[in-house]
Amino acid sequence: MVAIVIATHGNLSEALIGTAKMIFGNMENVAQVTFKPGEGIENLLDKYQTVSEGFEDDQILFLVDLFGGSPYNAASRFVARKETMDIVTGVNLPMLVEVLGKRLAGGSLEELVATAKLAGADGIKSFKEIFTHQKLANSAEEDEGDELG
Amino acid sequence: MKIKWLRIDSRLIHGQVANNWVNHVGAGTIIAANDSAAKDDLRKTLLLQVAPGRTKSYVMTIDKTARCYKNPSYDNLEVLLVVETPKDVLRLMDAGVEVTQVNVGGITFKEGMTLISEAVSVSPEDVEAFKELDKRGVKLILQQLPNTTASDFMNRLKSKNLL
Repeated sequence: MVAIVIATHGNLSEALIGTAKMIFGNMENVAQVTFKPGEGIENLLDKYQTVSEGFEDDQILFLVDLFGGSPYNAASRFVARKETMDIVTGVNLPMLVEVLGKRLAGGSLEELVATAKLAGADGIKSFKEIFTHQKLANSAEEDEGDELG
Repeated sequence: MKIKWLRIDSRLIHGQVANNWVNHVGAGTIIAANDSAAKDDLRKTLLLQVAPGRTKSYVMTIDKTARCYKNPSYDNLEVLLVVETPKDVLRLMDAGVEVTQVNVGGITFKEGMTLISEAVSVSPEDVEAFKELDKRGVKLILQQLPNTTASDFMNRLKSKNLL
């Protein structure tokens, strides 16, 4: 199973995992890494090393908050020479939820990366945009027959 | 129609169902069988709006669900079926749907109900329906998420002095 590390500025990573538990319960091979004021890249590298030692697999997907931020910069140093790891930036709840779902279905590292990029962007929607294009259900008509719909 | 998983969940299609259970049970189709949602054009439209893109989703009345169940063109369709109440499970069975096991996942608390677990409350009417399901030999499992503990629902009702 691909392990997942959520690494963010402040406590966001902790909160994202806590929230994902509402949907997935307790999860194995998922770790949070926080980055607090006063800490530097070396602290993050130490934390990445520590959490990665706790996983049963050497495949790791890092989901970090900001491209170019310290959690990303440290992760890029950590991952650069490791073929079994990758990083996706812009972590949000839609991304995390879809990645965890895909992982349950046995997704590979490459598949999880693709899911993360897609879901992270696709989770951003405006209700009005969807609703104006959505065909309103017509229950009277659709309750007929024995065909799905 | 192959019912891979039948779940009682008063929220019908939502995060736990759309993102977790459907992957876990490996069903390509979600059917929310619920008369009031199926007859409410807006609610039906909005439930279908949140259904996961990779899964085919339908909101249909109990009767129509039973008719589709019997349609031979869906013999190989693997379905996650969600209903709101135990009474709806009985109605599906009475309409000819074969049910051996039900996952009691989430019933939202309302006035007059008894809290059974973090996610499940039951009304006196629900208790009667669960007793009937039990009498018909249906296995009732209390479980919120695929990786949380599964326990015997009737034992739980008994421990709450509801039987």
